[in-house]
Amino acid sequence: MHKRFSFRRAFLAALGLAAVAVPAYGPVDAARNGAITGHVELTRPPVAVGRRPGVTDLGTPTLQPMAEPQMSVVYLEVAPRGAFEQTDTTRAVMDQRNETFVPHVLAITTGTTVEFPNSDRIYHNVFSLSKTRPFDLGRYAVGRSKSIRFDRPGVVRVFCDIHSHMSAFILVFSHPFFSVTDPAGRYRIDNVPPGTYTLVAWNEGVTSESRQVVVSDAGLTETDFSLR
Amino acid sequence: MLVGVACPVGAQGLPSEPLVFADGRAVISGDVSLTASCSHAEGESACTGDTGFFNYSDYDHSTLRMARFGVTASVRINSHISALADLRIENTTARPYGAYVRIHPFIDRDFDIQAGRIPWTFGAFSRHSYSTDNPLIGYPLAYQYLTSLRPDALPLAPEDLFRMRGRGWLSSFPVGNSTPDSGMPLADAFRWDSGVQAHGTVGWFEGAASFTTGSLAHPLFLDDNDGKHLAGRAAARPLAGLVIGVSVSRAPYVTTAAAAAAHADARDFTQKVAGADVEFSRDHYLVRFETVWSAYDLPTIAPRLEASGTYLEGRYKLTPRIFVAARADHLGFNTITGTVRSLTWEAPVTRWEVGGGYAVLRNLQLRTTFQHNARDGGRIRKQTALAGQLLYWF
Repeated sequence: MHKRFSFRRAFLAALGLAAVAVPAYGPVDAARNGAITGHVELTRPPVAVGRRPGVTDLGTPTLQPMAEPQMSVVYLEVAPRGAFEQTDTTRAVMDQRNETFVPHVLAITTGTTVEFPNSDRIYHNVFSLSKTRPFDLGRYAVGRSKSIRFDRPGVVRVFCDIHSHMSAFILVFSHPFFSVTDPAGRYRIDNVPPGTYTLVAWNEGVTSESRQVVVSDAGLTETDFSLR
Repeated sequence: MLVGVACPVGAQGLPSEPLVFADGRAVISGDVSLTASCSHAEGESACTGDTGFFNYSDYDHSTLRMARFGVTASVRINSHISALADLRIENTTARPYGAYVRIHPFIDRDFDIQAGRIPWTFGAFSRHSYSTDNPLIGYPLAYQYLTSLRPDALPLAPEDLFRMRGRGWLSSFPVGNSTPDSGMPLADAFRWDSGVQAHGTVGWFEGAASFTTGSLAHPLFLDDNDGKHLAGRAAARPLAGLVIGVSVSRAPYVTTAAAAAAHADARDFTQKVAGADVEFSRDHYLVRFETVWSAYDLPTIAPRLEASGTYLEGRYKLTPRIFVAARADHLGFNTITGTVRSLTWEAPVTRWEVGGGYAVLRNLQLRTTFQHNARDGGRIRKQTALAGQLLYWF
């Protein structure tokens, strides 16, 4: 059974439950920490994204289908206590290349600044109306980059104001226990303190049923998901 | 537990992306706009319809009071050939705007041939006519305002034109079709012509040429005067965000029957048009300038009739959801001499429009504009309008 849900709500709920989460998390326990690994299978048809037909244009070769987004994100719904105390600020990049956001899915922690370089020969205008972090970077040309810092957990849907077929997701977590799957659907979340957790898989706005997993001392826990 | 607090991401229930079929070979998109307005003409009570007919695009439709639904579709037959179609329903009138085949002969070159009912070659606004591309609700005068000239009825003398100044919504002339009907704009943004078009891009230069049946003022599906419409456009993109274009067009603009009634050949009635346009955008602003000059050969009247429409428009995004926009627009005409007076053959019109929009969703906008029109002729010479529009697209 699979459900669609609001990321903002879920992330905020996760943040709120953090106070009662167990066990403790911190560098002192690092040697005992384990990992969660597995595979996310997508049994539903890939989300097909097409360009709006350029009927009013003088001929433009706009009819090639866009790449199919297949990446999923697996994350702990409730993180260990102390996981939110990390204050490291990092940077990430979401490129604009061949009228596509690369990567299509970016998962980051709060406090991360994301760069949006324009690697195309044409203008792009990155924007988001998401409540988590609304922004509009305006139009800028090749070779330039603009950045946005994400301080609140949630999901940010990113678009280009000029090219309506361009879209991407940024998932902002308040803890580091998440993983973006590789092209084969595999994921691995490292450095998880021993304990019992709730694990969730996400793909293009669809989430799996949450799973209970037990991470033992320095152990490797395997959990697979199937998203329809 | 957390899933229990969830709600559907796609709660809006309407598509937000184009509909894709057959592994991406077929794509359908659409847009819906609902526009209402309240006009106030000089000397009339408040909140009437467009009684000055400043915003009518034909006898039946005012662009400020319109429900429009547009569907566009493309089908990629193979890597060289695509079929495209554009159907629009305005109020209750359905119009097949475009239906054509696009041939892309060279995979590695940006060159296309399009045949059928094709998009305009001329000008810039003709490709901005979708609601999403138009920063305001009203249209530029050159592409919408109805002059008194008609394709099927002809004036015999300057006085016939003077009598119709400011009455392009419903004009009549003594030669040809005697039934009153709407006149023609300089360039008709609401209908497309039929024929063949070639388009190519080399570096930052772009060129297009077309050979079609109607004229810029009177596009047609089937020819009505055995004349051909030749149009060309060249554009340069020397910088990212900057487009500079020039366009030309030449075609007979009256029907064979109307020309015969004037004891002339339809090819003696030629519309010659030249245009120039510039667009520049950067950061959060967009500025467009366009001018269209049109000359109409009319054997019964000298000198030839001329008209020019020029507008400057801009849009600025204040926040991710809110934008403001403005346009200044003027439509002018040359002076001709009648038996007792000299006048411009049509009444010049000046329009300015300011407005803004709010993005409820990425593909759902609310817009409002305030428009002021002044005309040097006609029954109503000044009119203001407050318009609102709901715009949805996928």
